[in-house]
Amino acid sequence: MDWYHILALVAFVACCGMFLGHFIHLIRLGMPKDKAKAQGKTAAGIRYAYINSMMPQHKESAYLHLPTYTAGIIYHLGTFLSLLLLLYSLINIYIGWAMPEVFRWIIGACLLISTLFGLGVLIKRLVKQELRSFSNPDDYISNGLTTLFQAITALFITFPHIPAIEMVYFILAVLFLVWFPLGKTRHILYFFFARLHLGYFYGRRGTWPEKSKL
Amino acid sequence: MKPIDPIKREKALALLADTSDSKLRTHLNSCVRCGLCATSCMYYDKFHEAKYIPAVKVDIVASIYKRYNTFLGKHAPKLVNARPLNEETAEEMVDLLFGSCTMCGRCVTHCSIGVDISYLVHKGREMLAEMGMVPASLQSTVDAAVKTGNNMAIPTEEFIDTIEWMEEELQDEVEDENAHIPLNEEDCNIFYTLNPREPKFFPLSIKAMAKIFYAAKESWTLSTKYYDVTNYGYFNGNTAEATLIARNLHDEVLRLKGKRLILGECGHGSYANRWEGPNYLGHPYPFDMITAVELIKEYIDSGRIHLDKSLNTEVVTIHDPCNLIRNGGLFKTLRYVLHASCSNIIEMNPYGNDNYCCGGGGGQLAMSEYNERRLGIGEIKANQIRNSGAKIVITPCHNCVDQLLQLNHTYKLGVRIMTVAEIVANALIL
Repeated sequence: MDWYHILALVAFVACCGMFLGHFIHLIRLGMPKDKAKAQGKTAAGIRYAYINSMMPQHKESAYLHLPTYTAGIIYHLGTFLSLLLLLYSLINIYIGWAMPEVFRWIIGACLLISTLFGLGVLIKRLVKQELRSFSNPDDYISNGLTTLFQAITALFITFPHIPAIEMVYFILAVLFLVWFPLGKTRHILYFFFARLHLGYFYGRRGTWPEKSKL
Repeated sequence: MKPIDPIKREKALALLADTSDSKLRTHLNSCVRCGLCATSCMYYDKFHEAKYIPAVKVDIVASIYKRYNTFLGKHAPKLVNARPLNEETAEEMVDLLFGSCTMCGRCVTHCSIGVDISYLVHKGREMLAEMGMVPASLQSTVDAAVKTGNNMAIPTEEFIDTIEWMEEELQDEVEDENAHIPLNEEDCNIFYTLNPREPKFFPLSIKAMAKIFYAAKESWTLSTKYYDVTNYGYFNGNTAEATLIARNLHDEVLRLKGKRLILGECGHGSYANRWEGPNYLGHPYPFDMITAVELIKEYIDSGRIHLDKSLNTEVVTIHDPCNLIRNGGLFKTLRYVLHASCSNIIEMNPYGNDNYCCGGGGGQLAMSEYNERRLGIGEIKANQIRNSGAKIVITPCHNCVDQLLQLNHTYKLGVRIMTVAEIVANALIL
């Protein structure tokens, strides 16, 4: 095991620990203690918040901005895939399993596509004056680091036997894992709580699930 | 501007460290500044300035939160745009959170993450209220409610005179000299409330609702002291004042032993009492509380009133008040009542939970400082009305009525604006 493996393992554990801390804190704080009498079904509202209301036809942020929405979805899938592969790579330090070549190339290609979409999102922020006007360094670091992490994951998965790529992969993984719970990337956790609160709010009021229009 | 009192500043900052539940922390940490909320906001749609993007309004509150509550915000504030709460930030907050948001919540349902932007705007307003930075005109509206019991400071004698006048009008209309608008009666089934704009400017809407009560043979009353359904304490962010106003109404219902509190046609008033009142007072209300629209639906369902929709044949369209529909869940209830009362309804586009605010929400109607902006964003609603081709716009909210009347005049729409009670009263079979 090389030093960068150890560093990556430590960063991974620390990152998980920080997210676990955020998670436990949010769970402990709990839901609002609403004293008003509910007129809708809270559980149905929460289900709706996670599923139906996320569909592109229900959100202007999706159906009015389909290219960005599509890019965002693919980019996020790439991030989740990269995180899974990081876990696999860390475990694989010990077990040394060789992934079949066809899988490696398929995964690499998928990640290359998501990387390009991530880059697209970053370029949009850089060139669109309006978006730039309220962006801060965190936006660029989070987007840039995540995109870079996906790119190096694609390379590492496709060419696992090149030592230089492996070293860069684990070093970049460390940087990503350090930033992940600190930057806006932490929305990976808060997103789910935001939907929960939204479903609770609109569910109690009977706004969600949305009734069919007359 | 004058310096912020350090003690008040600390109190404002303490609001962001609130740990009573996970809602605040969640929403303060969720926005990714994608900017896709921009086109859901009337202010941005109208003026196309970046400062009106809802994410910017979130960011100013979140940036202060980060400065005092997060690791990077404390140690590397520039990295995450963590800003101190100083005079400059506070002044910007006033313009963005009071002057550029109707708290309609349209951006909330369309946010790609699900950030409750209205909730954060309200939290920012609470901070400003702690620092004594509520726009003067809005504060004077709240002061009037606190001092006199109604936000227009209508003297009790004037109110009683108006009600007596409407009682005579009612008697003439139903041709029954026993028709009555009860005042301060105890043990009634219904304790009814009004928006003070009704006795002040639109008394005929009181007569319309009284006619519905008459047709339903309802036992009801108005209080001459606390009849005001509005609560601008919700909009100015001063929870103590909002609580006092809500408590006055709550206690008056108990004093007169009313069985049900009926919230008159007012979006934010219904919201502040129905959804926030029990939280302000810290307990569920010991009596039933519903809106006038829901009550009318009950009357129709139970056969207590009978309607003939052929009495309303003109083309009507519906303006959905944000606090009753998107934030109050009454989409179907309102349609049910209006389809029973009118024979020719055409919807605006968009409508229902997707509706656009009239432009007067969030306390905008009470803030003369932002009149120009308010009428500017109202152009979106004016265009919706014009495109619908309707001759009458119906809305169950007197604040919306006020804004729509101004839009009607400004944009020369040539429509009539009516409340639900008025259109239902037109269709009553006595």
